[in-house]
Amino acid sequence: MAHILVMEDDAQFRQMLVQMLQQDGHHVDATADGAEGMNLLRQTNPDLIVTDILMPNMDGVEAMLALSQEQRNIPIIAISGGRRSISSSFNLESAALLGARETLAKPFSRNDLRNAIERVLK
Amino acid sequence: MATLINDAYYALLKQAVSGGDIEEALTESAELGRKFLRQETPPEEVTEIHHHALQRLAAENPDLRLVQVADRLTAPLMEIIMAYSLAFRQQLEAKYTNLMNARLAQTSRLEALGTLAAGIGHDFNTILGIINGYSEMLSDRLPDGSVEKQNAEQIIEASFRARDLIVRMLAFARQRETDPFMVDIVAIVKSALKMIQVSLPPGITVRFDTELTQVLMMADPSQIHQVVINLCMNAVDATQEWGVIDIRIRRLTETGKENSQGKRFCLEVEDSGCGMPPEVLEHVFDPFFTTKPPGKGSGLGLSVVYGIVSELQGDIDIQSRVGKGTTFSLSFPYEEQTGPSTACC
Repeated sequence: MAHILVMEDDAQFRQMLVQMLQQDGHHVDATADGAEGMNLLRQTNPDLIVTDILMPNMDGVEAMLALSQEQRNIPIIAISGGRRSISSSFNLESAALLGARETLAKPFSRNDLRNAIERVLK
Repeated sequence: MATLINDAYYALLKQAVSGGDIEEALTESAELGRKFLRQETPPEEVTEIHHHALQRLAAENPDLRLVQVADRLTAPLMEIIMAYSLAFRQQLEAKYTNLMNARLAQTSRLEALGTLAAGIGHDFNTILGIINGYSEMLSDRLPDGSVEKQNAEQIIEASFRARDLIVRMLAFARQRETDPFMVDIVAIVKSALKMIQVSLPPGITVRFDTELTQVLMMADPSQIHQVVINLCMNAVDATQEWGVIDIRIRRLTETGKENSQGKRFCLEVEDSGCGMPPEVLEHVFDPFFTTKPPGKGSGLGLSVVYGIVSELQGDIDIQSRVGKGTTFSLSFPYEEQTGPSTACC
């Protein structure tokens, strides 16, 4: 089982993800934005990051850019409530272009998440 | 009503010609003119009424001399006809200005709703994700075949239905990802009709006719597919049990339009169904507006059509008569093929 960092600003969605991943046996850390997430991952070095795209302080795309600058090769699953949000910089397509290994549009099924994690960690 | 007006006109004419007070006749004619305006009688028709009245006057008064009629009537009649034509034109202009303003107001309303849909789409999907996620975790812990598990699965299914609704709202808001390329509209319409044929009630016939063998335009084929299916399903619902739905592709040949906007074609969907009264027509593109029974329609079908057609720089016209049927006419710019076909359907 893997060590997963969840970055999601919606508290209820974050809690749901943590619970879902823990039930599948993963070790899970969670933060409410990208800045907090970057601080945590520098200490814990997770196997995988599941990040929302649209977040306050540092959004998912900015976090991915920061990871790339720090040359941290941690696989990323990007999740978002809209395939294309109002601002074109905050979408799953940008995340995929920046190297997200998987993208999931909310709401996704538990199996979609499980399959994405399995593909990324293979 | 028409006979009453004809009689009133004849009485006025007789009074004016037979030596009555011409001023009094003119005053009365103003009231008659207002009646014509209320009925939106075109000036040509008024002239015809005048001719009939003259013929009747001549038939009933064989001794009446033409010069007498001309002396008394020519000048005042010219003035009346000119005044009437002016009033009629002003009324027509006012009517079209009101219609235009109403359409503009509707467009602004739809755009505001589209922006709202795009704005809430993201948050709404996150909320659906929470509902779905917890329901799945709950479902996974419940014994297979139990009523509780079935109930949890119903919640999951409903959350995915709500997600599909958001996708349709976003399509309307023109935020949906589109991938336009050169497509053949005739081929897409044929393919959409094949799909519709499968689910058609037995009493309904769908006919397709095209003046053009190939119509090329830049579009996302799934959008055109959706427009045809939404319009046809609407036509099926309006037709109820028995009837005909005609789908036509026509070349538009209005010279003015061609000059200013290039070649345009028209895609028509006509049904012989129940038709729509003006108060329904006014709201037909409003999101969530439906006249179907609860559970039968989301009220988004025609809103989506409106969104897609606007995105493709098309126009929509609707002609509908209660009890007779409805025709949706969509017009778009298109290109004629000059070389070998590379279009995709």
